[in-house]
Amino acid sequence: MIEMDCVSRVFGPTVAVRDLSLRVVQGEIFAFLGPNGAGKTTTIKMMVGLLSPSSGNICLGGFDVVRQSRQAKARMGYVPDQPQLYDKLSGREFLQFVADVHGLSPGDLQESLGRLMRVFDLGRFLDQLTESYSHGMKQRLAFAAAFLHRPSIAIVDEPMVGLDPRSVRLVKDFLRDQAAAGTTIFMSTHTLSVAEEMADRIGVIHQGRLLFLGTLNELRQRMSQNDSSLEQLFLQLTDGDEAAPTPGESPAGKSRETP
Amino acid sequence: MIAAASNERPLLTHSQESRLFWGLRRRILHRLVAQALATARFRLLVVICLTVLFWGSMFLIFLSGFQEMVAAISHATMRFQIVQTINNIFFLSMLVMLAVSSAIILYSNLYRNDEVTFLLTQPVRPQRIVVYKFEEAVLFSGWGFLLLGSPMLIAYGLVAESPWYYYVLLLPFMMAFVAIPAACGAVVCMLVVRFLPAVRVQTFVVVAGLAVLLGLLLVRALCGETSYELMTPQWIQEILQRLRFGEQRLLPSWWLATGLLEAAHPHSPGSTPSGVPAWHESIGFLSVLTSNALLSYLAVSWVGRWVFVPGYSRLSQLEVPQRRGGSSWLDAGLRGLTRWLPHPMPLLLAKDMRLFRRDPVQWLQFLIFFGLLGFCFLNLRRFHYGDGMTQWMTMIGFLHLAMVGLILSTFTTRFIFPMISLEGRRFWILGTLPVSRRDILWSKFLFACMVSLVPCSVLILLGDLAWQIAQRTPLLAVVHQVSCLVLCIGLCAIAVGLGALLPNLRETSPSKIAAGFGGTLNLVLSAMYILATVGLVAVPCYAGFDRAWEDMSRQWPIADAQSLRLMSGLLASLILGATVTYLSLRMGFRAFEKLEV
Repeated sequence: MIEMDCVSRVFGPTVAVRDLSLRVVQGEIFAFLGPNGAGKTTTIKMMVGLLSPSSGNICLGGFDVVRQSRQAKARMGYVPDQPQLYDKLSGREFLQFVADVHGLSPGDLQESLGRLMRVFDLGRFLDQLTESYSHGMKQRLAFAAAFLHRPSIAIVDEPMVGLDPRSVRLVKDFLRDQAAAGTTIFMSTHTLSVAEEMADRIGVIHQGRLLFLGTLNELRQRMSQNDSSLEQLFLQLTDGDEAAPTPGESPAGKSRETP
Repeated sequence: MIAAASNERPLLTHSQESRLFWGLRRRILHRLVAQALATARFRLLVVICLTVLFWGSMFLIFLSGFQEMVAAISHATMRFQIVQTINNIFFLSMLVMLAVSSAIILYSNLYRNDEVTFLLTQPVRPQRIVVYKFEEAVLFSGWGFLLLGSPMLIAYGLVAESPWYYYVLLLPFMMAFVAIPAACGAVVCMLVVRFLPAVRVQTFVVVAGLAVLLGLLLVRALCGETSYELMTPQWIQEILQRLRFGEQRLLPSWWLATGLLEAAHPHSPGSTPSGVPAWHESIGFLSVLTSNALLSYLAVSWVGRWVFVPGYSRLSQLEVPQRRGGSSWLDAGLRGLTRWLPHPMPLLLAKDMRLFRRDPVQWLQFLIFFGLLGFCFLNLRRFHYGDGMTQWMTMIGFLHLAMVGLILSTFTTRFIFPMISLEGRRFWILGTLPVSRRDILWSKFLFACMVSLVPCSVLILLGDLAWQIAQRTPLLAVVHQVSCLVLCIGLCAIAVGLGALLPNLRETSPSKIAAGFGGTLNLVLSAMYILATVGLVAVPCYAGFDRAWEDMSRQWPIADAQSLRLMSGLLASLILGATVTYLSLRMGFRAFEKLEV
C-alpha cells in the first residue's frame, strides 16, 4: 500500500507539490495524471527516495521512505521514464546485480529471470552489453529489473514512451497481471488512453495541487459529462496556463538532465 | 497469472553490500578491458606506450636533475636539506591538488551521475554509494599522483643509493597519502552541497582561490627578490629558508616526505636515534599515514551516511537560473567583433561562446593555470641575475612560449577537440537547419582561435616585458608574438581537424571524449607541433643571440646575419604552421562532410 500524508515539496519560492494526501491500496492500478510541470515527477522522486519531502510523510508498504528508506525500497520496484543502465554490463549481469541488491537467492533469481525473460522477450539480447540496446529494449529490461524481486509496490513513470505497439500491449498485460496478483501499481502517464483503459482510480495534479482523486466515472459525474473521454475531461479540468517547470522537472516532464 | 510476493527478505549486511559493489566494479572493469582488447587494441597500445613514454621521460629528467645536484653540491647535509624541502613542497602542493580534484570528481560522480540516481532507488545504504564513488575519485586522483610522483621518487632512490625497502615502501606510502586529502575534499564537497547548495560554485571558487593563493605563495617564495647571486650557496640557503613553510609537522605531506627520506637514507643526518634501525622510523610514518587514511575513509562513510541523501535532495530544489541570451555585454561585444563574418557564422560563434561561458569548468582551471603562469613570469624578474645569466634570456623567452603552448594544447584537447563530437550528438539541430557543415566547422575553428589567442598573446608579452626582452630587443618580442599566433592557429586547427576526423558520438562527457584515443592523439600531435614550431625559431635564434646579447641590446636593428637567421627560422615555422593548419582543417572538413550520425 502507498500512503501519502500532507506531502509538500518546495523549490525555493516554488511549491512543486502542495499538501498531497492519497492512499493506493493493494492490487490497485492508480494513474497519476497532470500537465507538464504539474508535480508528477517530483512526487515520484519523493516516493522512490530521490527527493525528500519538505513536509509530510510517504509510506510504502508501511515503511517511511525517509526514515526507513531501505525497507521501503526493498518493497518497491521503480521503472523510470528514461532507464539508466550500466553500459558495460550485459542485461543478465545487470539483473544479477539488482537481484543481489535485493538479496534474492540463486533459485529465486532463476525462477524470476525465466518468468520475466518470457514475458518481456529478453532472451535475444540478454547477453549483449546494454550500451547496444534500443530505447524499447532498455525499457523492457528496466521493467524486468523492477519486478525481479516481486515487489509489492510498483512505481512506473511514463511506461509507454518509446515502446512499439507490441511492447505496449505486453506492458499493459503485465501490469494488469501484477495488479491482479496483489501488486500496487502507481503509474504516471501522459497517455490518457492507457490510463482510461487500465486505471482503477485516477489522480489529477495541476500546479502542485491534487485536483481530482477517484474513478473515471466519478470524474465524469463531477464534470457533469457522462459521455466525455478522459482526454476531454482532463483538458477541461486542467484548463489554464501551464505551470512553469519546477527544478526537479523539465518542461517535457522528464527528470532533469545531468551535464 | 503471476503471483506477487510480499518482500520479507532480510536486507544486506555491510559486508554483503561491500562485496556486491566490489563485484560490480570488477565486472565492469573486466568488460572494459575485454572490450578494449577486442575492439581497440591499437588505442590501448598507444595509451600504454604514451604512458610509458611519459613516465620514462619524467624519470630521466628527474634522474639527470638529481645527478646534476649531486655533482654540483658536494655537501651531503645541504643536499639532504634541498631534497627534504623539495619533497615537502611537492607533496604539500599534491595535498592541495588532490583535495580539490577529489572534491570536483566526487561532486560530478555523486550528484551529477545517472548511476547514483539508479542506486538511490535501490535498498542500499547511502554511505555505501558514497564510499563506492569515493573510491573511484581516489583512483582517478591517485593515478595522476602516482604517475607524477613515482618517477621522481624512484630516480631519487637510485641517485641516493637507497636500500631495497625504500622501493617496497613507495607504493603503500603513496596510496595511504592519497586517501587523506581525497577524503578531506570529499567531506568538504558533501558538506557544501548539504549546507550551502546555492553557493556551491562560489565556495568552489573560494577553495580554488585558496589553492591559487598557496601557489602564489610558493612562486613568491621561490622567485621573490633575493639578496644573493643566483645559484650561490647563500642563495640556496635563503631559498630553503623561504620554503620552510612546507615543513608543517601536522600535515600528511610532511609525514610522507619524511617517512620516505628516512627509508631512502638509512643514515640521514641526525634523524634516527642511535641503535634504532632507520626503517623503523619509516614504518612509523607509514603507520601514521595509514591509520589517518583509514580514519579519513571512515569519516567519508560517516559524513556520507548523514548528509549525502539530504544534500542530494537539496541540490535538486535549487531554482533554475534564468538566462537571457543577447543581454550580456559579452554577447554585445562578440556581435560587434564578428559583424564582418558571413551569415550564419556570428550566430554559431555566439552560441558556442554562450555554452562556453555558462560552463565554468571549461574556463576556470585555465584561468588558474594562466594566472599562475602570468604571476610566475612577472616574478621571475625579481631574480638578481648577473651578466653571466643574460645568455639565458633568449632561451627563457622561448621556454615561456613552449610552456604557454603546452597549456594551450591541454585546453584544445580538453575543450576544443570534444566540441565536434558533442555537436555531432546534437546534429539534429544544426544538421536540419540551412547551415552548411563547412560553416559549422569554420565556426568551431574561429571560436577556438578567438578564445585562445588573446590570453596566450598577453601572457607572452607579459613574460617578455618582465624579462626585459621587449625593451632590449623588440624584434625578439615580435618574433614571440608571431610564433604565438602560429602556435594558437595550428593547435586549434589540429584539435578541430582531429575532432572531426575521430569523433566519439556515443559519449556525452567532454572529459571522457578527451581521454579517449582521439584526445590522446591530439595531445601528442599538439606537443610535437609545439616542439617543432618553437624549435624552428629558437634554435637559430639562440645560436646567434647567446653570444651577442650585450651587442644586441645596444644595436637596433640587429645585425644582418643574426636577423637573417632569425627570419629564416620564423619563416620555416610559419610554413610549418600553415601546412599543419591546412592539412588538419582539410582532413577535418572532408571527414565532417561525410559524417553520419
